[in-house]
Amino acid sequence: MPYHEFECSKVIPERKQHAVIKGAGEDLTSCLPKGYLNTIPGSISERGCAYCGAKHVIGTPMKDVIHISHGPVGCTYDTWQTKRYISDNNNFQLKYTFATDVKEKHIVFGAEKVLKQNIIEAFKAFPEIKRMTIYQTCATALIGDDIEAIAQEVMDEMPDVDIFVCNSPGFAGPSQSGGHHKINIAWLNQKVGTLEPKITSDYVINYVGEYNIQGDQEVMLDFFKRMGIQVLSTFTGNSSYDDLRGMHRAHLNVLECARSAEYLCDELRARYGIPRLDIDGFGFEALGNSLKKIGLFFGIEDRAQAIIDEETAKWKPQLDWYKERLQGKRVCLWPGGSKLWHWAHAIQAEMGVKVISVYTKFGHQGDMEKGISRCGEGALAIDDPNELEGQEALRMLKPDVIFTGKRPGEVAKKMRVPYLNAHAYHNGPYKGFEGWVRFARDIYNAIYSPIYQLSGVDISKDEIATDKGFVTRRMLSDAGLSDEIKSLPTLTEYTGKYDCVTDLRGRTYPDFERKTAATAAE
Amino acid sequence: MDDATKLEQLVDYIMQNCLWQFNSRAKDRRKQNVGVLTKTAQILCDEPVDNPTPLDKCYWVDAVCLARAYRERYPWLATMDKTAIKTLMQKLHERMDWLTIDGSLNEELTVQHY
Ligand code: SF4
Repeated sequence: MPYHEFECSKVIPERKQHAVIKGAGEDLTSCLPKGYLNTIPGSISERGCAYCGAKHVIGTPMKDVIHISHGPVGCTYDTWQTKRYISDNNNFQLKYTFATDVKEKHIVFGAEKVLKQNIIEAFKAFPEIKRMTIYQTCATALIGDDIEAIAQEVMDEMPDVDIFVCNSPGFAGPSQSGGHHKINIAWLNQKVGTLEPKITSDYVINYVGEYNIQGDQEVMLDFFKRMGIQVLSTFTGNSSYDDLRGMHRAHLNVLECARSAEYLCDELRARYGIPRLDIDGFGFEALGNSLKKIGLFFGIEDRAQAIIDEETAKWKPQLDWYKERLQGKRVCLWPGGSKLWHWAHAIQAEMGVKVISVYTKFGHQGDMEKGISRCGEGALAIDDPNELEGQEALRMLKPDVIFTGKRPGEVAKKMRVPYLNAHAYHNGPYKGFEGWVRFARDIYNAIYSPIYQLSGVDISKDEIATDKGFVTRRMLSDAGLSDEIKSLPTLTEYTGKYDCVTDLRGRTYPDFERKTAATAAE
Repeated sequence: MDDATKLEQLVDYIMQNCLWQFNSRAKDRRKQNVGVLTKTAQILCDEPVDNPTPLDKCYWVDAVCLARAYRERYPWLATMDKTAIKTLMQKLHERMDWLTIDGSLNEELTVQHY
């Protein structure tokens, strides 16, 4: 096994099994790090807790819901507004956060009373919201508060409200991924099948594992609607609580982030016979293939092809403008879980960069299988890295840019490595054809930002040239380009708007005739 | 081009571009490999494909895309007769089972529940 041992982790020998370098001729039977294990004591992990994974990643993107944490206010604070999962109802779920503010006295005497009081107070404060999710935290789990019983009491007293209880305290797994798992299964067991949806199309899907980061879901929904597909629910970005109760009626589950939501798809396949189709919404080719597959499933591939042709004609020349300027740039692809495989192949094939390292904070070995398969020889793959390992890897690899979360991202910046936010994005959405160009633009802007030249100069000792002006991004990026490429009239920089999502909300879609009267009457 | 190189190219395309081979449990991976690769072989050999259930249709969708990609990228496929394609696809199936299931180092494949 081509394990890689970090100098800084020699004192934690178990860490060696969590990093590999893909060598010549290596495949998954000889090159795979350990994954989804408890963080080794002594290793300062970048992971989040299982409560955070359940609430922050999966529960809270639901838009018409009061999301309340039952626990000390600190747990909630850490999950408030740190992600950009927007919604088309004025971002209710981002603007308001709720917690029961459990204190020492509640730990001693129990916190059920304060929970009930908080639930009722929250519903009264927002009378138009009739749905709630409640999240268990470490403290209230340990004192044995029965959240389900309290939720039931409230539902009995207030028949127009519905409450979902997520029992995933911080310690319920090695990382946030434990929380993804818990909330998937809990939602399925408690809520799926409790509401019958209205079917309006012959082609009905759930879009699963999509969280509407900066509008990703809305971009994809636009494609599905243009194809005449009814999206019964999105799990969970920009989705309604009640839509997600009707998931059992879909004909197909289209799965985007398998890491956070495959459990739900697997169970829906086993219990309801709904097939699971894994897709990639990132990258022209992968996205095109994904739309075609959904089209093929329903016998409407021509509708997918029309979208692909239109979007590619519009956006490909702009993608290529960036591709010419990103050739050979070396990337550390260090996201949380699924983007290491969603992006690894697509950015290399379509933007010309080279992925020299992948890592995952909370991914499982299955994510590493996908990621390692999609990157080339010499790539360093790390599971659950600690901060010192991250720094050592950056010194060793000297990447041109790093895609990661904001905590390791800020560390990278201090080491003079440009960073892009892989979780919440810089100027997303990144999904869709236009989104992919926006991503390329962000990479370009990061790599060629003049600040990285300036930040390397130490004004206390370096000589500062007074006869030279400011070097712009474009001067830096075009220095090595041939005149022919520079003057190609077909290639242009990104021409889209600052906000490419809001307009989608007012769009009208073709009314496709349904196949039979019987189905139309459903 | 020898058979080993051809096989390597077919495996490589799947590993770089597809996701269907990486369901989280061994039992599902085996079903996915059988479903998608059997149908891909049928399409490449111009045989009819039967899709009696939605699950079959889902395998077929991935098979259609895989067969198209193979035909487009590997012109040598067009020079092979159907028996040779069948044999190659059988070897591909065995190789995928080895890489993703039987030889896999993924310790979660045998976890009982999802
Ligand atoms: S680990 Fe426990 S106490 Fe800490 S944030 Fe998570 S739920 Fe709260």
